[in-house]
Amino acid sequence: MSAYRRVYYPYYSPFDPCPPIKAKMYSVPPNLFLGYQPPNLPQFTPMQALRTGTLWKVFYDPWYSPYETPREGDPT
Amino acid sequence: MKQLPKEFYDTMEQLQAVDFVLVDLTLYLDTHPDDYEAINQFNQFARERKRLKKIIEGTYGPLMQFGNSYSGYPWNWDDAPWPWQL
Repeated sequence: MSAYRRVYYPYYSPFDPCPPIKAKMYSVPPNLFLGYQPPNLPQFTPMQALRTGTLWKVFYDPWYSPYETPREGDPT
Repeated sequence: MKQLPKEFYDTMEQLQAVDFVLVDLTLYLDTHPDDYEAINQFNQFARERKRLKKIIEGTYGPLMQFGNSYSGYPWNWDDAPWPWQL
């Protein structure tokens, strides 16, 4: 479970027609915690950057649904 | 219609990677105008992109128009394949 996810537990009524979703996750991307980006952060290679979608490793935050197993090689 | 050689696709992928790095660096440098290493890196990749563009345009034809690329003979910027057909 990525460090950039948070969970909240919505209220659900016993009379709901469908089975309740007890825990809901939302994304808290790394750029929230970084503020002004310091220089000389570690970077991906161009090919990796193309795949991961960002040049700096610190911003890499792939979204996997809780039911999807993350692919190997992807930092959670 | 002739199919493109495999090397073309590899070179084009490198061009895409270099373009991505240039876009990311441009966005970074917009907010960090005095980051010397990043500017060096940007110029390195700009030079790399020119080199890749020359290789690709040698075999494939112009990538951009309005003077951003040389034209072949006859006028061939509108020949297939288009970028979305690659």
